[in-house]
Amino acid sequence: MARVRVGLFVTCLVDLMRPRIGFAALKLLEGAGCEVIVPDTQTCCGQPAWNSGDAPGAVALAKKTIAEFEAFEYVVAPSGSCSDHIRTEYPVLLAEESEWLDRATALASRTYELTDFLVTVMKVDSVPGKHQGTVTYHDSCTGLRSMGIKQQPRALLAKLKGLELTEMNGCEECCGFGGTFSVKFGEISAAIAERKCENILASGAQAVVGGDLGCLLNIEGKLRRMGNESTQVLHVAELLAGED
Amino acid sequence: MNSREDILGRVRNGLQRNGSNAAVGREEMQSSLSSRTQGPKPVFDSEPKALLERFRLKSEKQSSTVDIVAQESDVPTAINRYLTAMNLPKSAVAWPSLAALDWALAGLVVEARGARDADLVGITGCFCAVAETGSLMLCSSAATPSSVSLLPETHIAVVPAARIVPYMEDAWALARTELGSLPRAVNFISGPSRTGDIELTIVLGAHGPYRVHLVIVEN
Amino acid sequence: MEIKSMYFKANAKTKLADVALQGNLENARGRFVTTRAEAIKELDDFEGTRDAAEAIRNRVIDNLDLWLERFEHKALDTGAKVLWAKDGAEVCRLVIEIAKRHDVKKVTKSKSMLSEEAGLNQALEAAGIQPVETDLGEYILQVDNNEPPSHIIAPAVHKGLNDVADLFHKVHGTPRKTDIPALTREAREVLRQHFLSAEMGLSGGNFLVAETGSVALVTNEGNGRMVTTMPRVHVVITGIEKVIPTLEDLSTLMRVLPRSATGQSISNYFSILTGVKKPEEHDGPEHLYFVLVDSGRADVVGSDFHAMLRCIRCGACMNHCPVYQTIGGHAYGWVYPGPMGSVLTPLYAGMENSIDLPHAATLCNQCGIVCPVKIPLPDLLRKLREKQTERGLRPLTERIGLRLWAWVAQQPRLYALGARIGARYLKWLAGGTDRIRLLPTAPEWSLGRDFPAPEGKTFRELYAARKHQAKETP
Repeated sequence: MARVRVGLFVTCLVDLMRPRIGFAALKLLEGAGCEVIVPDTQTCCGQPAWNSGDAPGAVALAKKTIAEFEAFEYVVAPSGSCSDHIRTEYPVLLAEESEWLDRATALASRTYELTDFLVTVMKVDSVPGKHQGTVTYHDSCTGLRSMGIKQQPRALLAKLKGLELTEMNGCEECCGFGGTFSVKFGEISAAIAERKCENILASGAQAVVGGDLGCLLNIEGKLRRMGNESTQVLHVAELLAGED
Repeated sequence: MNSREDILGRVRNGLQRNGSNAAVGREEMQSSLSSRTQGPKPVFDSEPKALLERFRLKSEKQSSTVDIVAQESDVPTAINRYLTAMNLPKSAVAWPSLAALDWALAGLVVEARGARDADLVGITGCFCAVAETGSLMLCSSAATPSSVSLLPETHIAVVPAARIVPYMEDAWALARTELGSLPRAVNFISGPSRTGDIELTIVLGAHGPYRVHLVIVEN
Repeated sequence: MEIKSMYFKANAKTKLADVALQGNLENARGRFVTTRAEAIKELDDFEGTRDAAEAIRNRVIDNLDLWLERFEHKALDTGAKVLWAKDGAEVCRLVIEIAKRHDVKKVTKSKSMLSEEAGLNQALEAAGIQPVETDLGEYILQVDNNEPPSHIIAPAVHKGLNDVADLFHKVHGTPRKTDIPALTREAREVLRQHFLSAEMGLSGGNFLVAETGSVALVTNEGNGRMVTTMPRVHVVITGIEKVIPTLEDLSTLMRVLPRSATGQSISNYFSILTGVKKPEEHDGPEHLYFVLVDSGRADVVGSDFHAMLRCIRCGACMNHCPVYQTIGGHAYGWVYPGPMGSVLTPLYAGMENSIDLPHAATLCNQCGIVCPVKIPLPDLLRKLREKQTERGLRPLTERIGLRLWAWVAQQPRLYALGARIGARYLKWLAGGTDRIRLLPTAPEWSLGRDFPAPEGKTFRELYAARKHQAKETP
């Protein structure tokens, strides 16, 4: 049977900050039996432009991304936020251009967040990672509220022997990142992050895990500034893929 | 141009109003006024006994107290018992519609009129009661003045069990049948007045009654 | 009300540093969220009820002109008078005219956010008429030198018990009390005399019922009933968008409003007021006026922000907003705080006066999820950001920066080069550690947290290298 052809949308943040998350996603998708292609012209989905009020910029980047990825059966991103932007916002952005709207809608229906894809589409029953210890899961806003990413990462984490999930209070509350919000209103953003970190610390977990790098950078930065050195901050893909 | 025309004109502009969409709009308006569509409602047993029980439970949840008596003639004695237990005065203002009850026989001094500031106990009936939320529905009239349920520190309401309906929608249906048009004031009352304006701490007795006591008449 | 939204950022900073306020916000945060969550469980089909509530509001605002005419017609039939006001100044003028016509010296008021918009209290005072706020929260603010509310449901939620204790001691000249029921009783006794002596009562309106020409009022304290029962004159000030079709629709909306607002199954008092008292009746006003107010609403009809007119002013969006929870309502600088305020303030009080507000949100969509009439608040905030950019209201550096970034992101080679340099630069900033203490390109980030160091090479580089290696070693 032909393998499922997946275009991996790495996301600009993973490209810049944490390539290992991209490789972990690659490993998981290949492990699930997919043929994974990483288009090398990909850059950013355009969400920062859209959220900052630059509609023309967002439209241009949407068209670019559609052209790069529409040949694949599926598009998968290790981020709820970026995959939702393609899935939910592209059709809104391109609503006025009927040809592009059709292409956007077609792509949207085939775009998935990584854990959602592994669980819902590939129905994986094992993952390569190993982890000893307690973790707590931060539900990133867009993935949770727009894409319904909640049980998928937990179902996959449950497959890791030795991992114990300890839910924190307010796991669905925003961490205060909000993209450009975090650099426009740094103090408010950091104060919201502090509440999140207090909940993480109160859970007693050795690691906090999430599916969106933006939130994770925010949480890690705040934990360290609060003087916490011991709590690991990990992307769910890293945990699931394990060490190479 | 006067403000009315100016405002409506801009609303019409915003809606790109023209002759044909106005006709459609009017039709939609007429149909929603006549169809009186109801939204989803919580499901519960609407047998009379179950309704009474739900009404009692919900009323208590709203911090009302509830007494159940067999018939209307038992009401004055039941109220006397309540006032004694609560160490409240035995004089009250009551709706003129309740003037016929034998208050004096039960040892109560009751004046049937609208309430004044000095009245400490107010006795009312109700138009009906809603089991869904444990609410009384009071309709104002000369015989049922609004102030009696508002000014006194203690409000006692007589609730015939047969007048407990499941939902607020049923109360409207009853009002349309029995009253035709709405009275000046319809008041749904669900427990004593309260406020949470200081530190979100709930305090009973804000501007209206501190306590609401319901006497449900079974027959 | 004077707008101070242009100082959002500076005000937010002050609020973050206010220890007492932070304590009060923490108290409020937990309660609003948990009580709502409990209350919606009582409905078997909360989502279905939300859908129905949304449909009811849409039905009216999509034909608002027709519904307004219908409401007006029915209200006139009941003996009420219907007046229209284009803006706050006209609201004040109309209310003062009514007061003078009926020889009114004192007005008792139940909570009306529109009266805050219009600055009505100041106008009444200037006309020699005494306004008395009777909602306990509003009363506390009025006697505290007319402080503006910080929440639309709980106006004094930013104040603590000690603040109120000091205030009442000073204003009432009574011994200082720190017992909440005793403070409440003290306010009750003061306000009772006002209820009995005022010639005119003024209220907002939660809904206007087109079927019957009635106003529906939702209160817990009973002050709404007092101001509409005791005085000779009752004036309802309400936005033109508040009309709903039928009493059945009112019932549906009442299943979501108190639950979303205060976590109650139903508010203590829910009054539907229709017309004036009959000669033989003991109580109720002899004169009833509706003042239907535009103040920016008419221009929202049919615009990109049309959905905002569905709002039923429950406050759930602010109660659940991480930003509101962190800074409270005053920082927003006008009548309406939180997500709904960040949409309404630019629309009603000027986009140029509230540049920060649409950006002061993480777009987490918690507000959209809890909104009982399903207003897509994050989408509306985003739309406002777009309008700001179109109108050139954003700082030039930001606009140029964004355009430049979006342009570079369309040039894959240039972008790849930029990312390579960026990864190395950030790595260098971390100086061999795992974090950057001060991010020169985004100093705001560093105000309260570190920035984790990058790995140092981009995914693109490493992936290319890996592919290259795979070719070399077959």
